[in-house]
Amino acid sequence: MPRKLFLFILGIVVMTAVLQASFTKKDIKVHQLANGLKIIFFEDHKIPSISYYTFFRVGSRNERPGLTGVSHFIEHMMFNGTKKFGPGEFDRVMEFYGGANNAYTSDDMTAYTDWFPPHALEKMVEMEADRMQGLIFDPEVFESERGVIASERRMGVENNNEAILQENVRATAIMAHPYHWDVIGWMSDILSWRRDEVIEYYRTYYAPNNAVLVVVGDFDSQKTLELIKKYYSGIPAQTPPPPVTTEEPPQMGRKEVVIKKEAQTPSFMVVYHAPRCQDPDFFVLSVLEKPLLSGESSRLYRRLVRDEQLAISVYGGVEEKIDPYLFSISVKPRPGVDLDRIEKIIDEELNKIIEQGITEQEYQKALNIVRSDFYYSLQTNSGKANLLGASELLFGSYENLFTIVDRYSRVKREDIPVVAKKYFHELNKTVGKLIPQGGN
Amino acid sequence: MKRTIALLLFIIILYPVVTMASERLPKPEKLTLKNGLTVYYLKNPELPLVSFRVLIPGAGSAFEPEGYDGLANLTATLLLKGTRTMTAEQIAEALDFMGARLRVSDAEEYAVAYGESLAEHLPRLLQIAADCLASPAFKEDEYKKELSRKADTLKSLKDNPGSALRLYFRKAYFGDHPFGHLSSGTESSLKKMSLEEIKKFFAARYRPDLAIMAVVGDIDRKPLLDLLNKTVGKWPKPATPPPALTIPPVPAPRGQKLLFIDKPDATQSYFSLGAIGFPVKDAIAARASLMNTLWGGRFTSWLNTELRIKRGLTYGASSGFQSWKEGGIFTASSYTKNDKIGEMLDITFDLLKKAREQGFSEEEAESARNYLLGQFPQTLETNSSKANAYLRVVYYGLGFDYYDKYLDEINTIKAADLKAAAVKLLPEKDFVLVVVGKGEEVRQILSKYGQFQEKKITDPDF
Repeated sequence: MPRKLFLFILGIVVMTAVLQASFTKKDIKVHQLANGLKIIFFEDHKIPSISYYTFFRVGSRNERPGLTGVSHFIEHMMFNGTKKFGPGEFDRVMEFYGGANNAYTSDDMTAYTDWFPPHALEKMVEMEADRMQGLIFDPEVFESERGVIASERRMGVENNNEAILQENVRATAIMAHPYHWDVIGWMSDILSWRRDEVIEYYRTYYAPNNAVLVVVGDFDSQKTLELIKKYYSGIPAQTPPPPVTTEEPPQMGRKEVVIKKEAQTPSFMVVYHAPRCQDPDFFVLSVLEKPLLSGESSRLYRRLVRDEQLAISVYGGVEEKIDPYLFSISVKPRPGVDLDRIEKIIDEELNKIIEQGITEQEYQKALNIVRSDFYYSLQTNSGKANLLGASELLFGSYENLFTIVDRYSRVKREDIPVVAKKYFHELNKTVGKLIPQGGN
Repeated sequence: MKRTIALLLFIIILYPVVTMASERLPKPEKLTLKNGLTVYYLKNPELPLVSFRVLIPGAGSAFEPEGYDGLANLTATLLLKGTRTMTAEQIAEALDFMGARLRVSDAEEYAVAYGESLAEHLPRLLQIAADCLASPAFKEDEYKKELSRKADTLKSLKDNPGSALRLYFRKAYFGDHPFGHLSSGTESSLKKMSLEEIKKFFAARYRPDLAIMAVVGDIDRKPLLDLLNKTVGKWPKPATPPPALTIPPVPAPRGQKLLFIDKPDATQSYFSLGAIGFPVKDAIAARASLMNTLWGGRFTSWLNTELRIKRGLTYGASSGFQSWKEGGIFTASSYTKNDKIGEMLDITFDLLKKAREQGFSEEEAESARNYLLGQFPQTLETNSSKANAYLRVVYYGLGFDYYDKYLDEINTIKAADLKAAAVKLLPEKDFVLVVVGKGEEVRQILSKYGQFQEKKITDPDF
């Protein structure tokens, strides 16, 4: 379904040693309008389709108590009417022109992702520009959309044990920084956002100087730039939003959160505080997570799922975020197993890495996974648009997409135990357990 | 006024797009290997990647012996858990080392092996894939591990009302028809399961003389052909004659079958409504798809507009047709707070009636045509989606110009055709309705729709 709440996992995407001629930095054209809107173009005429992605530098990271979830709510309201295009018109007109869209909100950003045939370009430029500043927040529609979000929360969190556990673990591990709450927001906030507060938030963050536009596909850069100027130039820049200044203080001891709930199977999670995505340590942890967690040959899969048969699955790793976030390990345990035993095995495996590092074979495997995942994600116009935009917002510039390989190749195998020791210790750890009550 | 001008321009501009028909699915080259395996190949040098798929007719869940739900899925899973030359660990290690993907999965009518890697790793990947298809070891300990993992996965599926609903619905709709077999298995089928049955299923049904393969990506014809002959080309053809691939026609519900599943911790109720559809090759396919686009197939569809956009009852509501050789089904699904399930069902029934009685406007028909045509190019954008399209076209006997014809036909469909499709396909009295929710809050509301059979989520099976 459109407009999914989306955990933004780029998947460590970014590696470019042998990028092919069909997608190189010199083929990217970049412009900036006087009002601050940054525009990134990549023409590719293979299929008669355009991916038009708008990224705003706003996510749940920019929220505060009482207004949690509001970034994601505005994402929904972006389809609910401006003076020029009434409620529902954006989708109706877009679909009439053969287009479709989705949107997602993460902790750090909100993205609007449109795909349409070339003849729809001017209409889409017009409508995207229009809703950057023109939302009316019709009070009736506002209430109806509140209901949609409440339903999304009930479906995505309350009726999903893994999501309930994740929300609790995140809120336990992170106490000060706004990453404390999930993108969806707390139910009581969802039910009580005020229209004037929401409008104020929208005005602050939905400004051309707080946005990046990425266009990939079957279009002409020069003509498209003219269209963009025509429709966006009149949108005034706004005072830049206030920076997020709260820093998470160091954790000073193991934390644990236990949820008791009707269920047939338990859930289990361990997280450690991890660095922001621009920190050199982040890349080391990204390499480390492959032999630890990626695929059935990974150390934790082998121990927990194959050998000791304590779990159905295990996954996790770091996530690319602007501010320091978490290294997570999520386990789906088998019913009735000893969850302390699972925690102990995870400790043992992390300690092995701290003491002995990873093998040369594992190191090469990690780099191979990085490289192939990168190409898999470049297969579509939308994949390219998404990477360009995310690179711009998270790593400071789209250009990182073409150079970040150097950062990966700078990770040395010897760095791994050193960095592992820095993050994987008892004081930095939070454990979450969902224990079934009844129903078993 | 402005709107009319925009529409005129639109039609003129659309024309050249429509005439580009031949670009929709590039015609592949057909290669035949020494063992008779047919391979459809397209070179795509854009990225250093290659994707392949092998479709094995008759190895899907519909061909499981009665009572062995999950056998086809276990067979597919066990192919990657050890061969005559490699252990499960060695296979996993080799695949992960390359950053390659290799999966075998089961649909109703067939199983599919799917692989993708950097072009430089293709030789090794094909070697492993061929080994898994031709000589899996089916070791007892691997079987036991997978079986017990599957039993636990089944429990966790029942913890999620959305995924539980899909399983209950399938059983309720298809009953004893082979499409009622659940890939997840059931509590009883997993108890009954045996490695002997799996080996028998594999020996009879995984065979190169029935299989079809597609390869798309950055590799030339000659090296590919050599590589294929050295790998999947050596997959031996069994001496036994191919098994029969007949499946009875998809059943049509007569009257109403109502089923309620009580899940006491559910904060929402989930419903699925199903009725008879049509086979893949049915002449109504394009009209049905366009009609469904308007009724429940896209964001601004009637169903999503009424349930989500106007009323905020749900995060999503949709409908669709699913088709096989032997027939197909229509389903409509959504979910809402327990106390709103009645309102949601009333609206859904009203919309079905409205479509059958009033049909759609010409403007709606035009919008749906534009939408299907505009969204089509992305559906064949990747190597893997092209490979998939080739197999689909060959398996169902559609012809490589299928997509051209299909889209050309879309272009000619008018509102009257859509009404006719709605009258024929949208259910009125004959349907299956399954609801998962909290009994305490929902039972009373549902009683007005008729007599529901009731099960508890904790009862074994579906």
